[in-house]
Amino acid sequence: MPNRTEKVLLIDDNDIDLKINAKVIKLSNFFDEIILCQSGEEGLNYINKNLDHPELLPDFILLDIQMPEMDGFEFLEIYKHLPKTFLNHCKLAILSSTLDFGDIKKAEANPLVIKLLKKPLYPHELRELLGDKHVSLSGI
Amino acid sequence: MSNPTVRVLYIDDEENNLQAFKASFRRQYEIYTAISAAEGLKILNNIDIHVILADQKMPNTTGVEFFKSISNTHPDPIRILLTGYTDIEALADAINHGDIYRYITKPWNDLELHNSIKNAYDAYKAKIDLRNKITELEKTNDELNRFIYSISHELRAPLVSVIGIINLVKMENLYNSSGEYWGLIETCSNKLDYYIQKTLQYYKNTKDVPDHSEIDFNQLVGELIELHTYSDKDTTFNVKIDQATKFVGDAFRIEVIFSNLISNAIKYQKSNELNKTVNITIDVNDFEANVSINDNGLGILKEHLEKIFTQFFKSKMHHGSGLGLFIVKEALNKINGTISVSSNVEVGTTFKITIPNAK
Repeated sequence: MPNRTEKVLLIDDNDIDLKINAKVIKLSNFFDEIILCQSGEEGLNYINKNLDHPELLPDFILLDIQMPEMDGFEFLEIYKHLPKTFLNHCKLAILSSTLDFGDIKKAEANPLVIKLLKKPLYPHELRELLGDKHVSLSGI
Repeated sequence: MSNPTVRVLYIDDEENNLQAFKASFRRQYEIYTAISAAEGLKILNNIDIHVILADQKMPNTTGVEFFKSISNTHPDPIRILLTGYTDIEALADAINHGDIYRYITKPWNDLELHNSIKNAYDAYKAKIDLRNKITELEKTNDELNRFIYSISHELRAPLVSVIGIINLVKMENLYNSSGEYWGLIETCSNKLDYYIQKTLQYYKNTKDVPDHSEIDFNQLVGELIELHTYSDKDTTFNVKIDQATKFVGDAFRIEVIFSNLISNAIKYQKSNELNKTVNITIDVNDFEANVSINDNGLGILKEHLEKIFTQFFKSKMHHGSGLGLFIVKEALNKINGTISVSSNVEVGTTFKITIPNAK
């Protein structure tokens, strides 16, 4: 997809963390565009609304676990029913401050989650995760 | 203090016995009588009975059969069997299936029966008290679990935001813009995070039942070294792991043990040492893993060696939490491991641990 910009979608109910993580990503130049959503529902709405406009869809999602109403795991239950074309393209990682063993195990067991990152978000961890993808991008 | 009301149900097909019982005991107890097992059940369903006496020889349903039939629906009342015959078979059956508290022969002796009912009521009370205590404990346990969960989420989340902001300050080169203030905030935040993490480790260690998963020491130690050397790359690690056989153990506790020991080995180095070194050797066999973690760091004073595994022991010179080695020891206790330490302020410290292989 030429001329397409790399987009990341951040889903977190905590607006301070949303701000911090957006800034970390911006300063590290990993993505061209950062989409911020304050709830899982808002995130799903954004994706559903733009399914016909793939140029607006995210390439990568960072999802929080502990959120009111719809938590990260509930989000994933709905997310997994999105079209395969989208799911195959978009990678998803969890970004959480949790130390709860149960949550960690559950997150790692989910096939849609490529990794569980722990807050705070460090640029080097994100770089390692995105590593292959960005090498190939810079090669274009 | 008034005596508690003891509610006694007496079931017997002979009306005379019921009357005699009432006459003897109506002052001491609240008495209910029934002429058959079916009648008895009716009373039992409506009244909170503490002690049941039943005659063994009754038409239709015997005393033991009656006790058996109510063992699931009315488990609480204490059962006493009365019989006019020395019936070994009934006796055996009563003990094996009827959950009988006493076996009394007719004609009864008033004093003996009175004592039996009194003791039965005490047993009833003890049973109920125990159950209330268990419910209470379960509730406390549940609250503690929720408390731990909330520490790991609500309390830590804002702290992690603060640490995130400090990282941003570094990324934007503002860290030295306000004298040493950012550095101080960072130190305090990290310390608080460390305490929260150690507290959680401690509670999880005391509460969780040991799990059994396969452990690859190469992978585990490799990951932990990477994690702990991220901010401090001065230390050289020599790792020698001989694991030819499968090892099964408690993944969480073993990780906690290694994590604390590796972190200590890095933290308590001599600042002027040029070759900061940590040697880790692990030898795994079918029965156990023998681990040695050796450093050329500060060493531990002889007089401190015995205290380092106690809770909140800290040496004056070094700013630990006093929790790390305590947690290591507690975790090893839970999984039947052992630890020993030898140390010398000149050459450094060696911890030797053994962890049983649960395969």
